[in-house]
Amino acid sequence: MEPSQATAERLTRDEIDLYDRQIRLWGMAAQARMRSAKVLLIGLGSLGTEICKNVVLCGLGHLTILDDTVVQEEDLGSQFFIGSEDVGSLKLESAKARIQDLNPRVHLSFDTQSIESKDADFYKGFDLVIGTELNTSQMVKLNELTRKYNIPIYLAGSNGLFAYIFVDLIQFDAEDEKLKGSQPTEKGQISTNTEVTEVKTRTDEDDDKKVFEVINTRHHYKSFQQMIKTASLEGRLNRRQIKRLSSAVPLTLALLRAEHEIGQLNFLTLKEKAVETCRQLGVPETVLNDTYVEQFTKQEGVQFAPVSAIVGGAIAQDVINILGKRQPPLSNFIVFDGITLDMPIFEF
Amino acid sequence: MGRESSITRIVGPENYAKLQQFKCLIVGAGGIGSELLKDCILMGFGEIHIVDLDTIDLSNLNRQFLFRQKDIKQPKSTTAVKAVQHFSNSKLVPYQGNVMDTNQFPLHWFDQFDIFLNGLDNLAARRYVNKISQFLKKPLIESGTSGFDGYIQPILPGNTECFDCTKKETPKTFPVCTIRSTPSQPIHCIVWAKNFLFNQLFTSDQSSTTGDSDGNDWGTDDKEEIERIKQETNELHDLQQIVHHQDKVHITDILKKLFVKDIEKLLQLDNLWKSRAKPTPLTDDLIDSAKDGHDSTDLNAIWSLEEQISQFINVTEKLMDRIVEEDYNIEFDKDDQDTLVFVATAANIRSHIFGIPIKTVFDIKQIAGNIIPAIATTNAIVAGLSTLTALRLLNFLPYAKTNSGLDVNMAFTARASNLSKDRYLSNPKLAPPNCNCAVCAKVARGVVKITEKGLEKLTLSQLIDLLKKKYNYPSETSLIDTSDQRLLVDFDFEDLLDRTLSQAKLHDGSVILFSDEEGDESEMYRKPLEIYLDVVEESAINSEIELPALEIPLFTPPKQEEEDEGKETSTEESPEKEEDKNGIVILDEDEGKDEKDGTTTKRPRSPDQTENDSKRAKTSKNHNDENGVIELD
Repeated sequence: MEPSQATAERLTRDEIDLYDRQIRLWGMAAQARMRSAKVLLIGLGSLGTEICKNVVLCGLGHLTILDDTVVQEEDLGSQFFIGSEDVGSLKLESAKARIQDLNPRVHLSFDTQSIESKDADFYKGFDLVIGTELNTSQMVKLNELTRKYNIPIYLAGSNGLFAYIFVDLIQFDAEDEKLKGSQPTEKGQISTNTEVTEVKTRTDEDDDKKVFEVINTRHHYKSFQQMIKTASLEGRLNRRQIKRLSSAVPLTLALLRAEHEIGQLNFLTLKEKAVETCRQLGVPETVLNDTYVEQFTKQEGVQFAPVSAIVGGAIAQDVINILGKRQPPLSNFIVFDGITLDMPIFEF
Repeated sequence: MGRESSITRIVGPENYAKLQQFKCLIVGAGGIGSELLKDCILMGFGEIHIVDLDTIDLSNLNRQFLFRQKDIKQPKSTTAVKAVQHFSNSKLVPYQGNVMDTNQFPLHWFDQFDIFLNGLDNLAARRYVNKISQFLKKPLIESGTSGFDGYIQPILPGNTECFDCTKKETPKTFPVCTIRSTPSQPIHCIVWAKNFLFNQLFTSDQSSTTGDSDGNDWGTDDKEEIERIKQETNELHDLQQIVHHQDKVHITDILKKLFVKDIEKLLQLDNLWKSRAKPTPLTDDLIDSAKDGHDSTDLNAIWSLEEQISQFINVTEKLMDRIVEEDYNIEFDKDDQDTLVFVATAANIRSHIFGIPIKTVFDIKQIAGNIIPAIATTNAIVAGLSTLTALRLLNFLPYAKTNSGLDVNMAFTARASNLSKDRYLSNPKLAPPNCNCAVCAKVARGVVKITEKGLEKLTLSQLIDLLKKKYNYPSETSLIDTSDQRLLVDFDFEDLLDRTLSQAKLHDGSVILFSDEEGDESEMYRKPLEIYLDVVEESAINSEIELPALEIPLFTPPKQEEEDEGKETSTEESPEKEEDKNGIVILDEDEGKDEKDGTTTKRPRSPDQTENDSKRAKTSKNHNDENGVIELD
């Protein structure tokens, strides 16, 4: 456990009791750091709802939610801060009391303006931005702004049983511990975007046979636009890994690369885009399974509660980790396949 | 577009209509259970029942998102159901109760559901629901989390591995001598303070600890040391008198006995210290000078030795005041701060003496209370995986037909658990049943329906005859009540043959094991048959008893030697196994006789050793020294 004295603001006794089960996991210092963080969540759809629930419960300091939509009947099938009596009202107006009720300690702001109406200055004060269910051009623009102000961003969306997470922390230094193995960790580049900058060892205070390596890593990130343009797996997968590659990977990227309105693509046009994406990725077209193409055509943009719970859980966990400075962050593109439960992480 | 528009685009309109007719059971309304309830509602399950025994606690609120400060002490299941009303379109039925209670939840109650989703926090209930799923042949999705780690395991009885097909971790136990004489880690001192010292001074039932029998494994052969431990236990009764008489002036005598005299006696046993660092006893002067010292109140700070001593004295005074009011019995409870501080200070003073690092009260609470860290995100992920997989098990995904349970994936949090860098989740395909599994493979299973009258009328011998005839068992068989491993009948124990089932203490929910003890000419045996006695209304069956239609296969039992080599995958440590590599010992219980009932408790050759062992482990916490094992519960 980290000494609580290390943080300027100490947690109160009430906070320690309330957050007991998580403080035992990430320590007092991380909990106190989370309390001082300001986060912007864009979009309170199914994914946004899950992310919101998780970060509010765990005691984030300030959360601003930006959403200008009105509650639709179909939202009731994937979101739990609203009820049937809210259909036709502004979603944030309907949801805000329920969100605040989750954890009265969190400072919440609700903004019902559109993302388009926000200028660059709007983003300045946030430590982190999470954008959900945005289209490609919105994500490109948003990411340009967050890069301008050096703000970490998570972008995520879902297509029925399938979903993705994109992460851009620009540059991020992390510290992690693991039990020392027979092969000591060495300094230097370890993957496309990650280098090990320092390795120290630490002996467990209770058991001196347990030796840990404390590993400092530096993670370099690409912008969203650069990622979708240059994503490649060329030479990175062996035959077995290619065989195992989910069709959801090229299909998700294909939807992100296509300039289109939701529902515009049919089986053939989507398949064509996905074949192009396979070429860019440097994987054979045979990874594309037609039943997946069909499902993506039908389920494009569909929000589904259990998928949101999984992907929203993963994003919230990573946000908590980087705010609390625990464990290395995700880097940088994750796809979830809700049929096989496969969830590969790609460093593009 | 209506609320069903998302789900119908995924499962199709026909499957959605079916889903609305489906009933699921969520077992547990805690961290995972709250999330499961939300997901099942949003997915459109027609009817959802949710069971939980517990009430809401402050430390639940960081993740159990359906509960609020004002709900503390309210039942979890009913509170959860109230909290979801505004977004629910399903019929919801909450129960406050223990899922293992056969009165409240008889087998036919479970039979109404299409699928079971577990959100449990203990092994016993997990095993129980797994067994129910095996008896009823209904799908179960088992899941669990601990901090960042989480998993789901879908189970399709007869088709995939069951919960007990793989070995589960047993509760950690320590040999007596490590705890009483030679601690080397903080946990040893905490176990000493909590399971030994605290119980000796404040808990009323002391009988077990005096009967140190010689059949114990002490973790040592040193007679002198064993004698010392026994003597020390006896001397503690004097200390208990100080407590009972609220003799506050003599609290320092307790300290001097525990931390000066006892340690000095230990030091005289040279054998113990040949390869270990010697402990350093406190001195009487130090204790006397620390007693009026300054108290620290910060439970997250490391206290000095003087502060530990002074706090020990303060808290012992408080407990002395309480013990009279509380009928000379105070139980350790991690949330009872007096008991916690007593254990923490006693453990820390002992740690100091043995050169072991001191811990904060906050940290000791986790170890002594066996607290498992728990967070919202892992629970959300696991529940999402569980409900998504329910769709696959029920074959509701039109693009991913499930022809066999072996097409389905399990999942665990590979990246968070540091098992993979390039996969957030690992998703191995399900395996077929483990042929050595005592729960799903080594026995046949069936539900016997019987009326109340049948229980009163039918004798054990009549039941055995019915079973022999129906399933072709040979003349020599045995019958065991698996709930307490009580032998009912075998070739040299026939005293109960003429008793009726109810006289033999069998009732609704009893699970009995019927075994072939003879074999045929070619050494083939009928598989043992595990029977669930389901008591039903007279109108439900044609006679007093109805046996299920089953084909019981023959098998060749493995040679005795092979079994002894540990090939039998009893899901817990086999009790014969003397010591594993961690030096943790689990002991065999002595055979015992209950004269009053005329029944013999025999350690059975039952395949169901697992339940037995966990019971054994459970009882051992009340009889620490008797069993030679101290367990941290």
